[in-house]
Amino acid sequence: MPRPEQRFVTLTIDGREVEAPENSMLVDGAKYGDVEIPVFCYEPKLGPPVGACRMCLVEVEGIPKLQTACSTPVKDGMVVHTQTERVKSAQESVVEFLLINHPLDCPVCDKGGECPLQDVSYGWGGGKSRFIEPKRHFRKPLELSPLVAIDRERCILCYRCVRYSQEVAEDHQLVLQERGNHSYVSTFDGHPYVAPFSGNIVELCPVGALTSRVYRFRARPWDVEDAGSVCTLCPAQCNITFTVRDDRALRVLSRDNPDVDDGWLCDKGRFGYQAIHADERVVSPMVREGGSLRPVSWERALSEAASALARARGRVGALAGDGATNEEGWLVSRLLREALESGDLDSRLAGGPSRETARTLAAPGLAATVPDVEFAHSVLVLDCEPVDDMPILDLRIRKGVRRQGVRLAVATSRPSSLDRNAEVSVRYAPGAGEAFVAALDAALAGEADDSLATAAGADPQGIRDLAQMLRAQDVVVVWGERLTGGPRGDQAGRALLNVAARLGLSGDGSGLLEVPASANGRGLCEAGFLPDAGPGWSEVVAAGEGSAGPRDAAGIARALADGELSALYLLRTDPLRTHPDRPTWQAGLERANAVIAHASVLTEGLREHATVVFPAESYAEKEGTVTHPDGRVQRLRPAIGRPGDVRAEWQVIGDLAKRLGLDLDFPLASDVSAALFEAVPFYSGLSLVELAAHGVRWPEREAASALDAPVPEPGQLETPPNAPSPNGALRLGTFRPIWSAPEVEVSPALRFLTPRARVELSPQDAQRLGVAQGATVEVAHDETVVTAEVALRSDVPPGSAFLPEAEGGAALTHGEPRLVEVRPA
Amino acid sequence: MKLLFDRIDQPNLNRLDTYRERGGYESLRRALAMSPDEVVAEIDASGLRGRGGAGFQMGKKASFIPKGDMDKYLVCNADESEPGTFKDRELMQKNPHQLIEGMGIAAHATGCNRAFVYIRGEYDYVADILEASLREAQEAGLLEHVILVVHRGAGAYICGEETALLDSLEGKRGNPRLKPPFPANQGLYQGPTLINNVETLSTVPHIIRMGGSEYAKLGTETSTGTKIVSVSGHVQRPGNYEIELGMSSRDIIFGLAGGPPEGRRVKLWFPGGSSSPVLTEEHLDLAYDFDSMAQAGSMLGSGSIIVVDDTTPVLDVAKWVAKFYTHESCGKCTPCREGTAWTLAMVERMDRGEATPMDLEIMSGVQEQIIGHCLCVLGDSMAMPIASMVKHFREELEEHIETARARREGLPVGDAPVPPEQVAV
Repeated sequence: MPRPEQRFVTLTIDGREVEAPENSMLVDGAKYGDVEIPVFCYEPKLGPPVGACRMCLVEVEGIPKLQTACSTPVKDGMVVHTQTERVKSAQESVVEFLLINHPLDCPVCDKGGECPLQDVSYGWGGGKSRFIEPKRHFRKPLELSPLVAIDRERCILCYRCVRYSQEVAEDHQLVLQERGNHSYVSTFDGHPYVAPFSGNIVELCPVGALTSRVYRFRARPWDVEDAGSVCTLCPAQCNITFTVRDDRALRVLSRDNPDVDDGWLCDKGRFGYQAIHADERVVSPMVREGGSLRPVSWERALSEAASALARARGRVGALAGDGATNEEGWLVSRLLREALESGDLDSRLAGGPSRETARTLAAPGLAATVPDVEFAHSVLVLDCEPVDDMPILDLRIRKGVRRQGVRLAVATSRPSSLDRNAEVSVRYAPGAGEAFVAALDAALAGEADDSLATAAGADPQGIRDLAQMLRAQDVVVVWGERLTGGPRGDQAGRALLNVAARLGLSGDGSGLLEVPASANGRGLCEAGFLPDAGPGWSEVVAAGEGSAGPRDAAGIARALADGELSALYLLRTDPLRTHPDRPTWQAGLERANAVIAHASVLTEGLREHATVVFPAESYAEKEGTVTHPDGRVQRLRPAIGRPGDVRAEWQVIGDLAKRLGLDLDFPLASDVSAALFEAVPFYSGLSLVELAAHGVRWPEREAASALDAPVPEPGQLETPPNAPSPNGALRLGTFRPIWSAPEVEVSPALRFLTPRARVELSPQDAQRLGVAQGATVEVAHDETVVTAEVALRSDVPPGSAFLPEAEGGAALTHGEPRLVEVRPA
Repeated sequence: MKLLFDRIDQPNLNRLDTYRERGGYESLRRALAMSPDEVVAEIDASGLRGRGGAGFQMGKKASFIPKGDMDKYLVCNADESEPGTFKDRELMQKNPHQLIEGMGIAAHATGCNRAFVYIRGEYDYVADILEASLREAQEAGLLEHVILVVHRGAGAYICGEETALLDSLEGKRGNPRLKPPFPANQGLYQGPTLINNVETLSTVPHIIRMGGSEYAKLGTETSTGTKIVSVSGHVQRPGNYEIELGMSSRDIIFGLAGGPPEGRRVKLWFPGGSSSPVLTEEHLDLAYDFDSMAQAGSMLGSGSIIVVDDTTPVLDVAKWVAKFYTHESCGKCTPCREGTAWTLAMVERMDRGEATPMDLEIMSGVQEQIIGHCLCVLGDSMAMPIASMVKHFREELEEHIETARARREGLPVGDAPVPPEQVAV
């Protein structure tokens, strides 16, 4: 869909000629002439203006009544006055009205000093009140949720939070109760407002009515400094500002970047910073002694690690995950390949497509941007759940549907929270993503054969409807890494390329947007943290002698368990937490002679199996770059100093390399970045200065031609395997809930959201199995048994069951579709 | 000349056969034979102005409805909640088919395929009657061109404001919307919507029957036709009267309604419901039509005359007005939400003797701060009558304040009337 073209009109504001974009509201248009018009309820991110607060009344010549500047579009030749007596008195009136019931408790209010109500009162108020009646009273402060406190006496009833809940997050929880002077914000029945994006209302509130319970009374605006960076808790990589006081991160605010996050944050990103200062944080190097990890000196930890790795030379595997930067991934891949003669490294969870397929999927000619999701004609959400996998993208998709009329289709095995917004929703059997994409490809090619749909366990008519819907001009396919994981990942990837070719995806308003499984999934792949690709998807010569080629994550697990590999290097990841096929990983970790880990929290796998732990920097301390799923290279900047003995990872890796005879010594973090930019051909010429504010999308730069991977013509696909038929058992699918993260577990404020092992069943299956909502059941495959609580969901297709990955699911899956038995415990 | 109230008390007029016997649904039949544009032209020629309060010409409003094939909505505003207004109730209760016929014609004229009557929840029994008559008309095949539904409100004054009504009808909280867009372009479910009052729509069959230009001969040049006036308050014969617009106000209050009880004088009167600025005895000889009322600084509104005689203190009237609008303010916009409550608090304080005449300055100042600054007209509906009371009765209010204060402070009270609770029985 073409973005609205911007044209300018000329109008006169306070006697000054102003050029403003056509159709912009006067409030925004006036800014082009350096005229500020005060507002409270107006916030364009919330949708069309409502004109409720009446703060922005101005005089427009030719219209007898004063007009709200927030809802009056600029017109050519319009003459506006914002400084006349009439306007001033109207604005003073509104301020007076707003303050009559406001407690004016600024000295003890968190918002004091950064409060729009204060600013507007000083700027446009009359400075006096004639109100001597008693003020309106409410009980205060109250918990709106465990994360947000509400002070209804301070509320000026601007509606922002209610509109946000209703029209942006669409959780439909906040409402206005009562009416008139007695109105107050609340949930309908008083239940706590818990939702993935609830914290945004704190930032939206123009007064101190909604405050963060975590930040409450921690600092005043004049005590703190702002430090901009990027959140690396998930692939959305939202731009954030840390509020820093005395070298501690006390708060995270959004740093609006329309190309990334649109100014919103999820609650994990907003409150998860508590993990930085959590007691559980690892702040000194540790070595396993007598069965448990003990703090040791850096010298000791480094030499233990170096000698263990040297002993295992040629038999070392490496994984990288969540917060790892491009630089760190690149350094570790060099350490493995050049010093340890091993090519067994993978930043993906369960392997993936071959180098050729993967680089074509990532090529600029197929890359969709985040804003494309909002302006496409159709969006297909394929094998991912945005709210869990890349939360902020969920809001973007909703916005596209609500505001731009984007037609949405959802194709997943697990019911999606976007189903309600979708025109077409298709379900297929868990793990049958490849068959589904092949069936979609056939439908797009106009083949009438339904056998592929049957193989995918999907409704053939649904696939035909989907194909019909996708025959639009600009289509964006948002797909999850899960689709191409597992042993048949390459075939799935090629099926997706077929679909991309048939839809004519061009990377110019249409294209693919992969949702990786880890926060910097794309960057780590591009930095060369893959078994079969070096930096920039370059070909690598298989390292090590006699091996059957480099191993991917699943292969590393098997090789460890079989004793073919003897050491594992973990860059900010724990396979027992994130990777499928937990039993094999468990066996592998137990058998490994050495497990070297960079970590900031000791998760289960590390606590039990790590032999050396290097304390890792948090994302507030880190310097380096990460790459957003749409190719935007973003810069992390340190906001606070490193606690305890924590050292920069790039330094630690360099020190370790030196001990292993490889020179990876760089004087400064920026030198590592510069070296990385040289190593990855399509990053060539990037500079940290260029990335400073909002990052740069490399597919839009000239150097992008270095990755010239034209989309192949649709080819013949291999026949995908049929999804297993349940026959009384259940097809198991897994998902990773938004709250499944170590940061959630160690943040005191978020801990209550930690997911439990809950198996989602359809009511029909539950009835057949004789289990009820909340019952404890055993989910079993062969000897592996997971205990879980039953959660009934009416939209789960009968025959399927879903378990969260880290909370049981990973124990039962290994990259291929599995059948499980569910029985009362 | 009676049109709307023509033989209104005829038994069983709510039944289809009775209504048809006297020529009912003839106008609908005739209208359906005309082209929509011709019907709009007739309505336009009649000069009929909306009877709900704003007085906007119906023909003009109908002509704003876009042409073309789409879902278009006709909504009848039957949320008659203005204090002193009770004309729509009688019209719907006694002659429901007249309204249904009018809606049938209006739907044809504007191409609306769906129509709603939004009736206030308190008119439960009226809604029953209306629904029964509607069923009769539908079963008789008279309304094949439109789906008509009676929807009951839940008892909020604000839902009589057209955009709040639409929100309420959509199942949302009934709060006024920002205008523009106007309902004619984006109304119910974002579709083009024609909203008119019960009385306006009930007049339509008569316009078709008489012809627009013939109807326009009734009344004055800019206020054509007849109007039902609800007269209440201190009059001897309160009730609904159908008059030709332009009749002298004195003739309505004294002639039709019998004036105040013996020995009392008219102190003030609301010409158009409790939201209109008050007029005094000296305005009694004004013609009762849209323009004359506007020239006198008030408005015809919904055509409800409330008469207050000299036994009632003005402050009591102000308190009653402020209380009503404070209670009914929806709370969406600042001046109305805060201004109404503040005004009520001030009036009560004056009455308790905790004010000085200087507070009248603040009170009229607050009214000025409300008028013209709100999202809808509810704020103005309180501020305009209160401001007019301060303007016309300043002396009395000052005396009331001083007396109340003196009494509270135990000072000798001048010639002030002894409050009822202190009268020895």
